[in-house]
Amino acid sequence: MDFTFTQDQLLFQSSVRDFLTAEVTPERIRAGWDTASGRDPGLWHQLAELGLTGITVPEEFGGLGMSELDFVLLAQECGYVALPEPLVHTALVAAPLLRQIGGELAGSWLPGIAAGEAKVVVGLQQNLLVEDAHIADLLLLQREEGWYALAPGQVELRHNESVDPSRRLYAVEFAGGAQPFATGDKAAELTAATLDRGALGCAAQALGLAQRMVEMAVAYSGDRRQFGKPIGSFQAVKHLMANVAVRLEYAKAPVHRAAYSVANGEPVAARAVSHAKLMACEAANLAAKNSIQVHGAMGYTWEVDLHIFMKKAWALANAWGDTAFHKARIAADIFADGTALGAGTTFAPAVPDGELNPN
Amino acid sequence: MKLSFSAADEAFRNEVADWLAANLCGEFEQIRYRGGPGDEHSYVQERKAWERKLHEGGWTGLGWPCAYGGRGATIEQQVIFNEEYARAGGPGRMGHIGETLTGPTLIAFGTEQQKQRFLPGILRGEDLWCQGYSEPSAGSDLANVKTRARYDEARGRWLITGQKVWTSLAHESQYCFVIARTDPASVGQKGLGFFLLAMDQPGIEVRPIEQLTGTSEFNEVFFDDAVCGADDIVGAPGEGWKVAMGLLGFERGVSTLGQQMLFQNEFDEVVRIARENGAAADPALRQRIADAHVGLRIMRFNSMRMLSGGGDDGSLSREAMIYKLYWATWHRNLGKLAMDVLGPESEILDGAPYQLNRLQSLFLFTRSDTIYGGTNQIQRNIIAERALGMPREPRG
Ligand SMILES: Cc1cc2nc3c(=O)[nH]c(=O)nc-3n(C[C@H](O)[C@H](O)[C@H](O)COP(=O)(O)OP(=O)(O)OC[C@H]3O[C@@H](n4cnc5c(N)ncnc54)[C@H](O)[C@@H]3O)c2cc1C
Repeated sequence: MDFTFTQDQLLFQSSVRDFLTAEVTPERIRAGWDTASGRDPGLWHQLAELGLTGITVPEEFGGLGMSELDFVLLAQECGYVALPEPLVHTALVAAPLLRQIGGELAGSWLPGIAAGEAKVVVGLQQNLLVEDAHIADLLLLQREEGWYALAPGQVELRHNESVDPSRRLYAVEFAGGAQPFATGDKAAELTAATLDRGALGCAAQALGLAQRMVEMAVAYSGDRRQFGKPIGSFQAVKHLMANVAVRLEYAKAPVHRAAYSVANGEPVAARAVSHAKLMACEAANLAAKNSIQVHGAMGYTWEVDLHIFMKKAWALANAWGDTAFHKARIAADIFADGTALGAGTTFAPAVPDGELNPN
Repeated sequence: MKLSFSAADEAFRNEVADWLAANLCGEFEQIRYRGGPGDEHSYVQERKAWERKLHEGGWTGLGWPCAYGGRGATIEQQVIFNEEYARAGGPGRMGHIGETLTGPTLIAFGTEQQKQRFLPGILRGEDLWCQGYSEPSAGSDLANVKTRARYDEARGRWLITGQKVWTSLAHESQYCFVIARTDPASVGQKGLGFFLLAMDQPGIEVRPIEQLTGTSEFNEVFFDDAVCGADDIVGAPGEGWKVAMGLLGFERGVSTLGQQMLFQNEFDEVVRIARENGAAADPALRQRIADAHVGLRIMRFNSMRMLSGGGDDGSLSREAMIYKLYWATWHRNLGKLAMDVLGPESEILDGAPYQLNRLQSLFLFTRSDTIYGGTNQIQRNIIAERALGMPREPRG
């Protein structure tokens, strides 16, 4: 048993963090809010050069052939800077989905993803809207009847504004006549796995977002003085942040556990992911609430960068399954017949597949 | 104890409801339910016109004494008015700072001349006021204000220099009450004055501050030898703190009931959506909705008890101290609950540019409820030190 990351994984994380914090500054994010696409092709190119767009693309298709577990720490870093580019979506949702679909679709799109030349976006019904559909070269959409692969020319997009000005959301419609490439059990498998990977991506980003908000509030509490002292010296302020620190620290293990589960195709992946998303989003929510509180009225302004992170956390909390959905999934799992609970099951894959989804 | 209203009060209720039905319509239909917390920037001109309409109906200064042009309404009647106002979807009041803060403060601490001069404009809904307390270095530590007031002997007037911040509605206001240091050598609560300033003058500059809602309700206000008449200081120089704190006492009281009715409207909206989108079937959300309902009732019962003079044993002042902490926290939780009830839709705006729907505004605005008017941390310090008598935290 070894619940740690390898030296390589940690090194990769730290180099990606260095890159992202240098490049993806709050100023750059704000500048993106005012552009039509909200996306920065130059930055995407740089991410591709670092191998990040193809990190989960198999080596035979020009990627790094790494797993969801290798990427999870990097997804945290994407959250830490509130990266607007769809890197988490690409590495954790689109590429693994194509890998799972296999065949011609995989062969024709994965190399482009790895090279940073093609963008593939994925839309689940559960999500109401599709992220980044406006820059997609291929859309993989799940509908009642099954999964569709569509070119931009086949779809009609209607832009919706998000509370997070960095997020670009679209209602996507397409004419009848398109044929699903997967239906029935095969489609359901793709849907379940995609939902888990999407939710895992939210959870990992939420950890980074929470971390960032804590750091901002801690820094502010050292600078801001009232009653002749830094406000951080007041116990009430310390406790606000200490509570977040505890919640955040305890959210990390479930997220890492979920990434392991997903990467290894464990049958408990769904429960692990739901657990991770709940904990991480709760930590990010508490971080947002308490960091605003520590900033006083400053935290309620557009000018202070805190809301960049707060609003992304808000959006992610309800994307890829909201709180109610993930809680229901865990409950359904606990009460399912034959669920093994109790001693000896902590690290054991426990539940047979197929009994996890309450829907 | 008798928890029902008299026949006379019920008649008053009908009068209010009839008047609102006959007047909150036509050109005012569009401002129903608008202009509340988080929505202060909307329909400003229409809501100003509405203030004047309220005055025509005799509904401003409801609780003020008749001698000052008020209606001299009883507590019960004020409760009823607030209930009916919220039930009818009455818009957020543009004149509330003048009516609930400036007016009662002048009636309590002002000179006769100040009352004659300032009260009628407030009643007519023409003079809107803003609150010039906070400064960059005086937030929770309000007594740390640095804005100076210097008496210009030659011309018999006060000159105010300094900066206020977070001043709500300063850009819409005719007047501002300002606490400023009359004794430049003083520190803390001593040496302050409470001034009544006209906003429209060269010595005052108002700069809006954008809030995380994308709208601007509060401002920075810069004073550069802004002129204040010799007669426009409330209380003596050096007594400003006493007046300023007296004013904060008026923040509680009857207006809390109106606020609770707004809360009730918001709560009802959350319940309506929960029914509609199926969230009501979720056990965890059901429990939180029930909790919110319980909290709302607690606030209501306690306010009624407080207003009808309950708690003569001293719990009255305690009630006043705990109320801000309770409602602010309750309201912030309601904002989060609203988002959880909306689920995936909570992220989607009504439109561009950054058009929040009512519940999204509620969520964002309620992040500030636990900050303005004394943060939660400061409220807890007050409860511990003043209500419970615990040792004072070392300050300064
Ligand atoms: C929407 C909004 C509208 C406002 N409108 C007005 C207005 O019209 N007029 C006006 O004058 N002001 C207004 N304010 C300002 C408001 O009164 C201040 O924000 C408030 O007093 C807190 O001050 P601050 O923002 O400087 O926070 P700070 O005082 O800097 O507090 C920062 C953090 O430190 C904590 N803290 C500070 N001191 C202590 C202590 N001793 N013990 C424990 N914790 C402590 C606080 O609780 C908070 O969490 C408004 C604010 C908001 C958000």
